[in-house]
Amino acid sequence: MMTRKWIERIEGEASIGFEFEENKVSFASIAFPHFRGMEAILQSKPAMDALVIAPRVCGICGHSHLFAAVRAIESVYANSGFPLEISPKAQILRELTLSLELIQNHFKWLYMVIYPELSHLLQRPIADSCRLKGAYAASLATKVLAIFAGQWPHSSYMIPGGVTCDPTYVDTVRAMGILDELMRWFEKEVTGISMEEYLSISSAKDLSHVSGDMRDIDKMLRTAKMHKQGFSYDRYMVLGNHGFSNPSKYMHRRMAKVNPQLVMLEDPYTVDEKTYAKNALYQNNAFETGPLARAVTNGVPFIKHLHRYFRDSTYTRIMARSYETALLLDHCKTLLQSLRLDEPSFIEPSKKITSLSEEGVGIVEAPRGPLIHKVTLNKGIVDHYTLITPTQWNLSCGSPQTQGPAQKAMIGADSIETATFTFRSFDVCSVCTTH
Amino acid sequence: MKPRLKVLWLQGVTCNGNTHSFLNYPHLLYVLETFEFLYHSLLPSTYTLEEISTCVHECDILIFEGAYDPRMERVGTSLETLVGHYGSHAKYVIAAGSCASFGGMFKHSDPEHITGLGFDEKEPKGPFASSPKLINLSGCPMHPEWMGYTLRMIADNKPIAVDELHRPKELYSYLAHHGCTRNEYFEWKVDSDHFGTKEGCLFYKQGCRGPMTHASCNKILWNDVSSKTRVGTPCFGCTEPDFPRINMFETKTNMSIPQDVPVGISKRSYLTMAGIAKSFHIPRLEKRLIDDDA
Amino acid sequence: MKNISEKPATTKKEDRKTSIMQTALKLFSTEGFYTTTMPAIAKTLGMSVGNFYNYFSSKDQLAKELMLYISTVLGDKLREINMTDVSVKEKVTMIVHMYFSIARERPELIEYFLRVFLSNREIFTKECTGMVCVSGFVTELMLFFDEGVQSGELKDQDFFSALGLFMGYLGGMVFLNGEEVLTKPLNEYETAIAENIYNALRKQ
Ligand code: SF4
Repeated sequence: MMTRKWIERIEGEASIGFEFEENKVSFASIAFPHFRGMEAILQSKPAMDALVIAPRVCGICGHSHLFAAVRAIESVYANSGFPLEISPKAQILRELTLSLELIQNHFKWLYMVIYPELSHLLQRPIADSCRLKGAYAASLATKVLAIFAGQWPHSSYMIPGGVTCDPTYVDTVRAMGILDELMRWFEKEVTGISMEEYLSISSAKDLSHVSGDMRDIDKMLRTAKMHKQGFSYDRYMVLGNHGFSNPSKYMHRRMAKVNPQLVMLEDPYTVDEKTYAKNALYQNNAFETGPLARAVTNGVPFIKHLHRYFRDSTYTRIMARSYETALLLDHCKTLLQSLRLDEPSFIEPSKKITSLSEEGVGIVEAPRGPLIHKVTLNKGIVDHYTLITPTQWNLSCGSPQTQGPAQKAMIGADSIETATFTFRSFDVCSVCTTH
Repeated sequence: MKPRLKVLWLQGVTCNGNTHSFLNYPHLLYVLETFEFLYHSLLPSTYTLEEISTCVHECDILIFEGAYDPRMERVGTSLETLVGHYGSHAKYVIAAGSCASFGGMFKHSDPEHITGLGFDEKEPKGPFASSPKLINLSGCPMHPEWMGYTLRMIADNKPIAVDELHRPKELYSYLAHHGCTRNEYFEWKVDSDHFGTKEGCLFYKQGCRGPMTHASCNKILWNDVSSKTRVGTPCFGCTEPDFPRINMFETKTNMSIPQDVPVGISKRSYLTMAGIAKSFHIPRLEKRLIDDDA
Repeated sequence: MKNISEKPATTKKEDRKTSIMQTALKLFSTEGFYTTTMPAIAKTLGMSVGNFYNYFSSKDQLAKELMLYISTVLGDKLREINMTDVSVKEKVTMIVHMYFSIARERPELIEYFLRVFLSNREIFTKECTGMVCVSGFVTELMLFFDEGVQSGELKDQDFFSALGLFMGYLGGMVFLNGEEVLTKPLNEYETAIAENIYNALRKQ
């Protein structure tokens, strides 16, 4: 018998059907009921308009969609024989604002989803103001982002050939100041230790130095036995190429190169509920994407250590995302310091986009993993647009034989509540999954 | 303590961009102290969406985000039922963002059935067409301060005057052009000839809709620090009923003459002024603002 | 910008100014721009040279105001046509007719534009840069083109390529007429010219 449950507060809703055997979840099927048809909206539009439309796929990771869209268009240029030159300055700015979007996402997820849900699970309610911490930290990150991108959400400042902004050192100094403030806040509230110290921890033992909210979360996760459940395939996929990621796959405890052309989409398995989410697979295999995947393939010592002991448990997954926040903050600082403002922001493409009829693919690492935009242009007009979002990997819904990572991770949970918590450890985004 | 006003934040066909925009609001603590959220997708709320969907509760203020498709269901209940129930009891209905106001981006996913709460683009249509309760906070997304202003005015019992599209006049009488750092370039018709410079106005080539768009983006800055035009991105006119337009990075011209001119200014007056302003060469405005060689 | 014809010349001084300009235009077109001196204009008007300079402080200034005056006269006529509710095609005919009528009735206006303004740009560099002194006329032409493209009748193209086609053609015909090389009176060419212009500008 299947028990259906609505999962809310995941950038929309999902409906999960649970099957139980001996009081443990034996199968869970995931359905996303909302659909907006973003790909159809993009169709027949001038290519540049995709830079305005694509961010509206998602309110929390729209900047990643912008980046993927601009890379897709730039790839059309390259495939047409006119590769564009992007100045180091524009590349740094793009990576900086993308990283900041990841940071705001992770803060919201940690404080507005994981912390309260975990407290709820253990019946240890936390103060309302605790959730606001997530919004506060996120708003500092987006403030830095907006100095360069004009606004968050829904900036369109990346364009084929670079970025539209032309910052001065007054802007970067201001950005640095806000970033410093965010890092100090992080030290005070999240870890209770200095950024440097936190970034140098390499084992679970070192966590005993941590004293902020992270310590509380760590303790609660262990109390809830999250290090002993939530296991999935232990297979990871990273496709976006950035300073903080290393495109590769991890399978059978080994890393290997990836070829994005082998990514495939499949119809979901449904039992009794309509779902609009297509499954993303690589050579017929399901892979987990996101911060844990990035940390494992990038060899982040602390996460590698946790992974060795607790594999891909819910605990490891949550720790990986939280820890990535610190890594990214540090990365942002390095990026800001390396900016050379005398370089051009934008180098005009030598060809008009209206003369191009080609395909292009843009891939970035979004908060939840690889985000792929594929576009086919006909004289600069979108003929076809395909979006493959990270949640289509993690939350894919297969049959009991072909389960997706989140489905598999929920197996064995002793209640719907714990299963749902594991589901949330993947940082679920309903709007991206179905688009 | 005064009983808190009950707010319900419902979502239609949306990307949740207004929810996330609002989370940037610096005074969320005030909001939580003054209002009780029956439901919000991320802020502390009294009920779950599932409990809300039973339609047994009532709210004072209904905030609706996203385009309105009466047939769409949220946890099994249609928007028609949800909006009908909560909206009829509420004293105010706030459309958060351009989708909720006019249909916006997501009207395009099914133009025949999808509208805003009270407008289909600029035509009155939808469950709150011509309703005095309706306040439109258009924008894609809306600015968090605009929502903050509206909520506080309601809490303080102060009247909110609205324009013919139900947008608060205090927020939407300004144009996005007002306060843009490129204003002097606009005055003297010094166009930015390509993207990526802080100099030059984006009106002639890059499609800037600032002078035709009612919004206070360059008065109340985004994320407290900037705006599209300040970072060299044209204004796309996202607070207006015709958003999203087509070819948003280009200015529509007819024989090099811009098709649209600033709101309320005749094309004859505009072209006369522009023609004269363009005749002068002003070296200060034609070179880079800050001399790199110095 | 001073707009001479829009403000009714109520004051005596304004009347006087207009009559000075008319006289100057006549003299320039018969005697030539460079050979006509300020005292000569004053003398023709029966004014003292000192008094004359109260109206125009230099020949450059007079030259500039004359251009403004002509542009306004033409601009006003064009504006009337623009405001008429007829097709763009008919408007082209009306503009050609208007231009040739002025060339016939007040040839000094068109001549000044063709012979003085266009061929002695150096006198106009200071305050008449770009299109300032012809803006009254050019603005109306812009509005005409803009309406033409918006209504779908005219092809969208660069403004100057359309302007050159239109005004260059008309100016050329007036020039040929002035040189007395045309075999027929100017007005008999109107229909053919209007048709040529319309066909050249039309959206295919
Ligand atoms: S860039 Fe846009 S908003 Fe700024 S001055 Fe120019 S027209 Fe106005």
